[in-house]
Amino acid sequence: MNTTHASVPAVPAAAAPVSPAAGAARFLGLADAFWRLLARGAVLLMFTLGIYRFWLTTDIRRFLWSNTEVGGESFEYTGTARELLLGFLMAIAILVPLYVAFFLLALAFGETWSTLGLVAITFLGQYAVYRARRYRLTRTVYRGVRFHQEGSAWRYSICAVYWWGLVALTLGLAYPFAQSHLESFKMRYTFFGNLPGAFEGSGWRLFARGILLWFIAVVPFVIGMIGTIGAIDWDAVRQASATDLSAWLESSGVAGALVIGALTCAWFLLAITILYPIFQAILLRWWVSGLRFGEVAVKSRLRTAQIYGVYARFLAYALLFTLVAAIVAAIGAYAVSRITPYTSDTVRTEVITTALGLAAYVAAALGYSAIYQATVKLGLWRCVIETLDVSNVSILEQVAGAGEAASPIGEGLADALNVGSL
Amino acid sequence: MNAPDAQTLLPVSGHGVFYDGRTAAHHDVTVELAPQTLRMHAEDGSVLAEWPYDALETHSAPQGLLRLGTAGNPVLARLEIKDPRLIAAIDARSTPVDRAERIERRLRGKVIFWTIAATASLLLVAIVGVPLLAAEITPLIPYAIERKLGDTVDAQARAMLDTDHQGAAFKCGNAANQRAGRAAFDKLIAALQAGAALPFPLNVMVVRKKDANAITLPGGHIYVFAGLIDKAQSADELAGVIAHEMGHAAHRDSTRTLVESAGLSFLFGMLLGDFFGGGAVIYTSKTILQTSYSRAVEAAADAYSVMLMRKIGGDPRALGTILTRIAGSTHPGPKILIDHPETPDRVAAIERLAGSGQTRPLLDSADWAALKTICSGA
Repeated sequence: MNTTHASVPAVPAAAAPVSPAAGAARFLGLADAFWRLLARGAVLLMFTLGIYRFWLTTDIRRFLWSNTEVGGESFEYTGTARELLLGFLMAIAILVPLYVAFFLLALAFGETWSTLGLVAITFLGQYAVYRARRYRLTRTVYRGVRFHQEGSAWRYSICAVYWWGLVALTLGLAYPFAQSHLESFKMRYTFFGNLPGAFEGSGWRLFARGILLWFIAVVPFVIGMIGTIGAIDWDAVRQASATDLSAWLESSGVAGALVIGALTCAWFLLAITILYPIFQAILLRWWVSGLRFGEVAVKSRLRTAQIYGVYARFLAYALLFTLVAAIVAAIGAYAVSRITPYTSDTVRTEVITTALGLAAYVAAALGYSAIYQATVKLGLWRCVIETLDVSNVSILEQVAGAGEAASPIGEGLADALNVGSL
Repeated sequence: MNAPDAQTLLPVSGHGVFYDGRTAAHHDVTVELAPQTLRMHAEDGSVLAEWPYDALETHSAPQGLLRLGTAGNPVLARLEIKDPRLIAAIDARSTPVDRAERIERRLRGKVIFWTIAATASLLLVAIVGVPLLAAEITPLIPYAIERKLGDTVDAQARAMLDTDHQGAAFKCGNAANQRAGRAAFDKLIAALQAGAALPFPLNVMVVRKKDANAITLPGGHIYVFAGLIDKAQSADELAGVIAHEMGHAAHRDSTRTLVESAGLSFLFGMLLGDFFGGGAVIYTSKTILQTSYSRAVEAAADAYSVMLMRKIGGDPRALGTILTRIAGSTHPGPKILIDHPETPDRVAAIERLAGSGQTRPLLDSADWAALKTICSGA
């Protein structure tokens, strides 16, 4: 074999520093490629009633990971769909006997057992969230070294149930502290090779940034709900006969309560819709800026306007899709009405129309889901990555590899229990 | 493999970035394409790694970057190459390196074929397997367990059905002015029970509900709606419907439905996972599937009713009469969701089975008039 050195580049970057833009992060993925991935995925999900999800999820992660670049080096997702499928089968093997056992216990000893079953599933769900994170981290490779996560998933599960319970009881006031505690828990046990992670976001800081939103959205809702209940004259409700509906509505105060209730809900929905991007921006900035790996610190320059932009794109695409879907559905309905004869077999006609309706529903649901992933999920990912400032990247040179690839069982449980996703 | 002349135009060395997998340190290397192996030289000329072409493995990377490792290596050593001509040269030498994604596409094709095959087989199980399995399992469930199941379902059913709220009790026949009606009703049930001689006790009750209907729950709970008694013009018509429900109880149909429902929930809900909006889809498909099972089941319960009515000397055709009356008066809803087969077909089948024979009313006119008052207002 002849060798021609003429075309060999003269090893150009050898003398250059690690990266000209050390500390900068970039997202290299093209939206077109992601759309293609999702469109094909949606069609296959429909025809496989969801079985294809293991392959789609893996493709999505590969795309997001490998197109994320920090300090000139891109990440790598080494998980496979086969592993996710195996994890799911393991979850089924665990959950089926568990469900059967609780069903039989509830049958034999009463309803208390089905409540207990629900509690057990709640804990198992949080356990799954932690184990799934472990799987994902150990399948994340950067510069030839993998991430990993230690710590007891059961302890995390107890902490998480405790904190989420507190969030519910305090109508969301405890949310910043729940986030800060749970994120600290996760990051304390997270490692990049032998470099330990940490989380330095303070609950009080998030609280201070978000309290105004809570006052605008939650407080009027609570007051309105109390007002709604207070407006009803409960004695009148009990005594009234159902003979004269309008008189009963007036005398019992239910009419007034309905008005207050409707206004309260309208305000709440409006506030959520308008303020959610602000909330998300605050949360993302706080979360990203709190992440640490040894000396490596991260800072986010994410602007709220970017998040609004992401959702605006989603709305625009969703609207367009709705328009197209409505036209297609109308044409389809007309075609079906012309083809199927009404007279002969009514039952068969209805089976066909119901099945077609169902297919249309699934297609629409998958369409919106794909649009959501391509606009919101990808959009947020891109925004967060491109506004990152990473400092002290140079110490990564000294990181030694550590950790083993973890079992995918957590992913399977999370999938089967419908908790947490990417 | 490319043609030899094309290969000679490709470079045999170039620049790469190597990570040895033991540390995250960045090594700029000169990649040399030796005849059998790919060699990585450090700046000082030492060989950092040497990988055989056929042990190479590509890993996910952004466009324009080739990321290599070695197959089955627990150490995550990686070589990254950006030069497109060098990438082409490696692709030409190594079978596993697959820039055109031919291997990847063939594997994915296989995955798609088998997942669609799995879906088809699961659907087949849902449509054919689950009903067959439920029919096999149901007779094996002891009556004691069916009873317990029935009590749970009974409590839920009451909560769901008791929506009319008019101050009066949901269950009829306990107030003072309903006693006579209750006595007549019990007499009718006793006659039916004596004829049926079921191996488990029944709990037949009249409930305050306007629809002309009756339902059977697991464990022998039969609810006769007050609306049905209003619509009935003779004791035999009412008895025909109750006998039909007793047929469901004798065949343990509601228990089987429960088993089927559990099986379908498992198949659709758990195995297939809940992709966006899956819940609604599962609910609708379950309803459609269960409705299609129940057509044969209703015909069997009709046959049971005819048999029982003939046995106790009542009019087996009265069931057909009342069915026609009810079908004529209710609004035709979405038919797919109506469990009972088309009424004219049912009535024709009942007529065929009923035959001709002497019948006498199951209750005399005084008792029938009393029975009509079982749900009179308190």
